[in-house]
Amino acid sequence: MLLSIVIFLPLLGVIAIALLRGLGASTIKWIALLISLLTFGISIVLYTYFDSGIEGFQTNSQLYEELSWIKSIGASYHIGIDGISLWLVILTTFLTPLCILAAWNSVEKGLSGFMMSLLALETGMLGVFCALDLLLFFVFWEAMLIPMYFLIGIWGGERRIYATIKFVLYTMAGSALMLVGILALYFQNGDSFNLVQLLAAEGPFDHANLLFLAFFIAFAIKVPLFPFHTWLPDAHVEAPTVGSVILAGVLLKMGTYGIVRFCLPLFPQAAADATSWVVPLAVIGIIYGALVAMVQPDLKKLVAYSSVSHLGFVVLGLFSQSGTGIQGSVLQMINHGLSTGALFLLVGMIYERRHSRMIVDFGGLAKRMPIFATIFLIVTLSSIGLPGLNGFVGEFKILLGSFVENAFSRWYVVFATSGVILAAVYMLWMYQRVMFGTPDSTNDSLSDLNPRELAVLLPILLFIVWIGVYPNTFLAPMKPSVDAVAAKVKVKDDTPEVGQLKYHEETQDNVVLKIETAKLEKIDEEALTK
Amino acid sequence: MPSELNIPDINWSLLMPQLIIVATLLIVLVFDMIDSISKKTLGWMTIVGSGIALWSSINLWQAGTEQTQFNEMLRINGYSLFFNVIFLVSTILVALISISYLGKDDKKQGPYYLLILLSTLGMMLMAAGNELIIVFLGLELMSLSLYVLAGYFRESPASSEAGMKYLLLGAFASAFFLYGIALLYGAAGTTNIPEIISKLSVNDQPSPLSTSPLLLAGMFLLIVGFGFKVAIVPFHQWAPDVYEGAPTTIAAFISAGPKAAGFAAFLTIFIDALPTLPDQATDVIVLLAMLTMSVGNIIAIAQTNIKRMLAYSSIAHAGYVMVGLAAANAEGESGAMFYLLVYCVMNIGAFGAVILARTADGENLMISDYAGLGFRKPLLAIFMTTMLLSLAGFPPTAGFIGKLYLFKSAISAKLYLLVIVGALNTAISAFYYLRVVVTMYMREPEEELEFNPYPSTLVIGLTLAAVGIILIGILPSLLPTLA
Repeated sequence: MLLSIVIFLPLLGVIAIALLRGLGASTIKWIALLISLLTFGISIVLYTYFDSGIEGFQTNSQLYEELSWIKSIGASYHIGIDGISLWLVILTTFLTPLCILAAWNSVEKGLSGFMMSLLALETGMLGVFCALDLLLFFVFWEAMLIPMYFLIGIWGGERRIYATIKFVLYTMAGSALMLVGILALYFQNGDSFNLVQLLAAEGPFDHANLLFLAFFIAFAIKVPLFPFHTWLPDAHVEAPTVGSVILAGVLLKMGTYGIVRFCLPLFPQAAADATSWVVPLAVIGIIYGALVAMVQPDLKKLVAYSSVSHLGFVVLGLFSQSGTGIQGSVLQMINHGLSTGALFLLVGMIYERRHSRMIVDFGGLAKRMPIFATIFLIVTLSSIGLPGLNGFVGEFKILLGSFVENAFSRWYVVFATSGVILAAVYMLWMYQRVMFGTPDSTNDSLSDLNPRELAVLLPILLFIVWIGVYPNTFLAPMKPSVDAVAAKVKVKDDTPEVGQLKYHEETQDNVVLKIETAKLEKIDEEALTK
Repeated sequence: MPSELNIPDINWSLLMPQLIIVATLLIVLVFDMIDSISKKTLGWMTIVGSGIALWSSINLWQAGTEQTQFNEMLRINGYSLFFNVIFLVSTILVALISISYLGKDDKKQGPYYLLILLSTLGMMLMAAGNELIIVFLGLELMSLSLYVLAGYFRESPASSEAGMKYLLLGAFASAFFLYGIALLYGAAGTTNIPEIISKLSVNDQPSPLSTSPLLLAGMFLLIVGFGFKVAIVPFHQWAPDVYEGAPTTIAAFISAGPKAAGFAAFLTIFIDALPTLPDQATDVIVLLAMLTMSVGNIIAIAQTNIKRMLAYSSIAHAGYVMVGLAAANAEGESGAMFYLLVYCVMNIGAFGAVILARTADGENLMISDYAGLGFRKPLLAIFMTTMLLSLAGFPPTAGFIGKLYLFKSAISAKLYLLVIVGALNTAISAFYYLRVVVTMYMREPEEELEFNPYPSTLVIGLTLAAVGIILIGILPSLLPTLA
């Protein structure tokens, strides 16, 4: 019940704003802010109901719901969360009020439409993360495009129309194929869209490789994985600040979430087969994204390309077939949402003051805006992956998992690691050019952050440090669910191409597993006899 | 030997929907002759009459009626009654958007509604036809009324041209269709549709008849005839010119009901016949479906006139319905029926929104004229956006659910390639539908246009359409499962 409230409360806000928009700008803003804060509050209550011991979806009726929807075709309103979606849900509800606060004074036309789009978008994103019915998932996945399309297209920059259409068409082309995949799975699932049933089914499904591809391409476009990334820089640069934050913070995660929720557990063998081409693409994305980011003269474009690089790490970890790697990836989804979201917010704040995002226009800002510079530095370091901040934990786990598990050549991991160094190069170089050096006289009048802007940024900083210092708060709830996915991918994999050593290790693992199962069975028997 | 003339028992109550329409059109005819009556009431009479017929159809449908009448010439069952619902809903919506469109010219009103009702009657006959001759009768009744309606604005050369073009090509198509019936009769010895179909198979095996050249030629000519009527590629050329030239309300009407009627007869014959015909027949339908979707959508991208764009989009939508036909299973049939209903509502809605955008100078048909409407005319823009998003198949609109049903039926018939082409076409179509939305919300107008005040009937019609589309999109179970 509570979960449904979290999902649909923002939609209620949309209706409220539609009815009350005559009351003036400040009323609209306050309605939007309060609704989104309330949603965040309830999502925190969700966390208190969350039982970290459960592998798979939570069974508490507050967190799980199944109602009949379209009976004739076996689709249901079926929602729930597990350790993988929990933090993504909270990230979404956390970023939305910050976005509303960040856009407080920057929307000039159509304020009610802007806030309505933002809240509708929140419902769409939450629905995607919570849907346990393939059709419901698809409905949220597609419906969420519409508000995003308006956000970029109406409130965006100069080339916004080109950017927004490119964004929608890329996504739609991918999701068209996913719909075919969903329907094909539907018939193999006994005429039902039920995801829980699908996950429990004894695979492999017929045409698993093609089905994997149908889902994977849709998600890869969203991530975006190289070479499907070209929509991203356009969309980011043209989107309003808030649009970029949501795009980087949450929308891109829908792609990686889709991979870990659908592609890996439903088609483990196909996923293992695909490792041979997905991982090279991920590594190319890491290095290519970093190199292109390095030469960008535009701050926003730089951050956009850094996303391509960061998301490459996430994909790498997801395909590492190790619990550690996948855990790192899920955590890195959150981390990227926080740090890149914060970076876009910071770039937006400086743009509002100076109306430029070109690095050459700045210099010596640290003298004029010391608080801004400090926060910018912390976020930059978090994005680079400095130990003690959140980025490090995620990236380290990804690289460790990939290296140790040896699901693919270790050379890929070595190349991927160079992405961390490149990140330091482009981020610090950018920081140096913007913050240090001789101040440009045109920047003399720039004022430092105001309390509203601090209220937007400080909560993000809190989490950046929290995850960096004590990641266990966040890792513990996701561990059982992630391990379940990892086990599924691993046990099914017996391709000899990954090398003799690996094969050997795995047989050992299997032996251990068998012993464990035998033990459990014995305990069960004992319990029964008692 | 003196032969005895058998007059069959006729259960008139089953024919209530048709009879009500006949009564309404007679009333309209009579009232048109009385000068003291405001002619605007004729439109309302049409709406009320169609409404009663709709209510009676739904009643019969709920009662689970399943009968044939007139020596098995007419078939009153869930299938034909559901199509009655489609036609009557279309007629009501078209009448609602017509009342303000026709303006104050009294001379124009009477024949207009009369012809619309006649054509609706023709459609109902087509859907109920259990006999190829009845189908033809209905087809001609419908088409002849439409030819006149397409050329209804005599003073406009475009309208006259549309009427003429439609007449010529339509007559051509009717000839093909009739020729096809003749060949089928020659091959099967009957024009009764279920009888022909039952003769196609013996003990669940295809009979020799199913491969006879005469029969196949007849079937092929039927496809050509229907192809013209529902505008599938390559028989679609008339559609854009007619839609562009005809009065906008009539373009809405032609694109909705008659297309559904064509498919009603098309489905009756082919859904059951296809599995018994040689595989090539299915291949032909699949190919036509893929061609229709792709050509319709790709050419629509290049259009700058919104009526032409909607014409090509309606061609593409005929292609989507063909997906259900190609699947040739029960799901395909009910999917196609659901889609036709949804399509009629959203397409009439889109044309209605075009009418809503009229200015004092007349209609605004260039897509560029819609620039800036999103903030200047929010209600109009919301209507248009809802209709276009539904046409593009975005959830949560009925258009998405309709496509889902169709694609699902084709997947269950293992027509994977067809579904992939269909799904990619959905993405292509999003491009031109969204371009209108882009123009409305994201571009600034070049000149300030003075828009007419909203006519209340039009707003009522559009509100009904928009609410229906979203409601069905969120809760499709509201519409009972069909057939």
